[in-house]
Amino acid sequence: MSAVEDLEQPEEGLARKFQKELNAGLTGLVLLTILEKAGDDLYGYQIAKQLQQVSPSLGLKQGTLYPVLRAMSGNGLLSSRVVPSYAGPPRRYYRITDLGRATLLQWQAIWRETRAFVDVFIEP
Amino acid sequence: MGNNAPRSIDQYLKALSEALANEEPALRQDALSDAEEYLRAEVAQHPDKSEADVLEVIASTYGHPDEVADAYRATEATVRKAMQGAPRPPATNFPGKFFGVYTDFRTYTSLFLLLISLVTGVLYFTVAVTGLSLSVGLSILIIGIPFFLIFIGIVRVLSLAEGRLIEGLVGTRMPRRAPFVDKELKLSERIMDMLTDRRTWTTVLYMLVSLPVGIFSFVFATVAIVVPLALFFAPIGVLFGLGHHMTVDGEDVRTYMGVAGLVLCAITGFVLLTLSLHVVRFLGKMHGSLAKALLVARQGDA
Repeated sequence: MSAVEDLEQPEEGLARKFQKELNAGLTGLVLLTILEKAGDDLYGYQIAKQLQQVSPSLGLKQGTLYPVLRAMSGNGLLSSRVVPSYAGPPRRYYRITDLGRATLLQWQAIWRETRAFVDVFIEP
Repeated sequence: MGNNAPRSIDQYLKALSEALANEEPALRQDALSDAEEYLRAEVAQHPDKSEADVLEVIASTYGHPDEVADAYRATEATVRKAMQGAPRPPATNFPGKFFGVYTDFRTYTSLFLLLISLVTGVLYFTVAVTGLSLSVGLSILIIGIPFFLIFIGIVRVLSLAEGRLIEGLVGTRMPRRAPFVDKELKLSERIMDMLTDRRTWTTVLYMLVSLPVGIFSFVFATVAIVVPLALFFAPIGVLFGLGHHMTVDGEDVRTYMGVAGLVLCAITGFVLLTLSLHVVRFLGKMHGSLAKALLVARQGDA
């Protein structure tokens, strides 16, 4: 990782850091939305692939999605069940809970307000 | 990065395991299980590419092992707090420490664990003994092999369930995922994997040991709570006019002990109850450590 960083311009490094900070705050929002819109329970790989289709360039590393899913499960925003088997990889399926739905509505409202607020300043 | 990027799934998992070397083994097991699920699925999605080619792209899409390890570390703190609540500052003075056991909810969850460990102990012991003896007995028939696989499957499910129970009641961090098994291996290789996996046998050992542990836990918990409570409530019973029901050596307890004796009896009961609860909480932690030692893969295990 550091070899690549050495070749970067300083502004690229700062841009990457900024993107990373934004991703940290918004990953949960996006994951909850995906699960809310899905009709079925989804497992980690399925969710990761949906994200990848939309934003291959956002620097959102799919390996960082799994712990966020676990954290939201721990907070009660998601429920999960594991399907263990020795005939294939065990998968943890996630589903949004009622608390998750209520929280998602609030987060979406906050996101819209924040985006509108920032746009006031950055739009010419 | 090009020189030390993992070139195979095993290399990636090894690097991830090393990056999480200082973390809880159960967290490491979760992270490795998640990563292996993703990596194997991704390789399966690109049958035209070699594993090394897929892994080359993986670092930019899934993330470098260090990045993934950081992500797990960052969220672990949040998950811990959410599941257990913010930690109480420990009492510093002796009365606080001694009587604090009553306000610690772990005391009561540990007590519950000790009481139900009789039931779980009987269940696990029966499953283990029946499964093992039938597996050995049927091994000469063709049905022996699928039966053994089913038995090991049940063992793994029970291990996961017991882990969740232990973590919920005692707080010991236990895995939240079942251990990963490669579906591409041949049946005979899978059986060899399971037979050589240390965790399979330590789990069976845990199930066998659960019966004596459960019996001891249940008996201790019952006696250690009931006897002090009886001592504590005896004088109160006397106050409510039940004294003539209580005798010691055939003599009415009121004349046998006298007022001072009864007061001492109550105090003794209270002190014994407090001591018992301390031991109960300790035994709960020991039970958690036993489960962790036998049910969770250690660094270096498959």
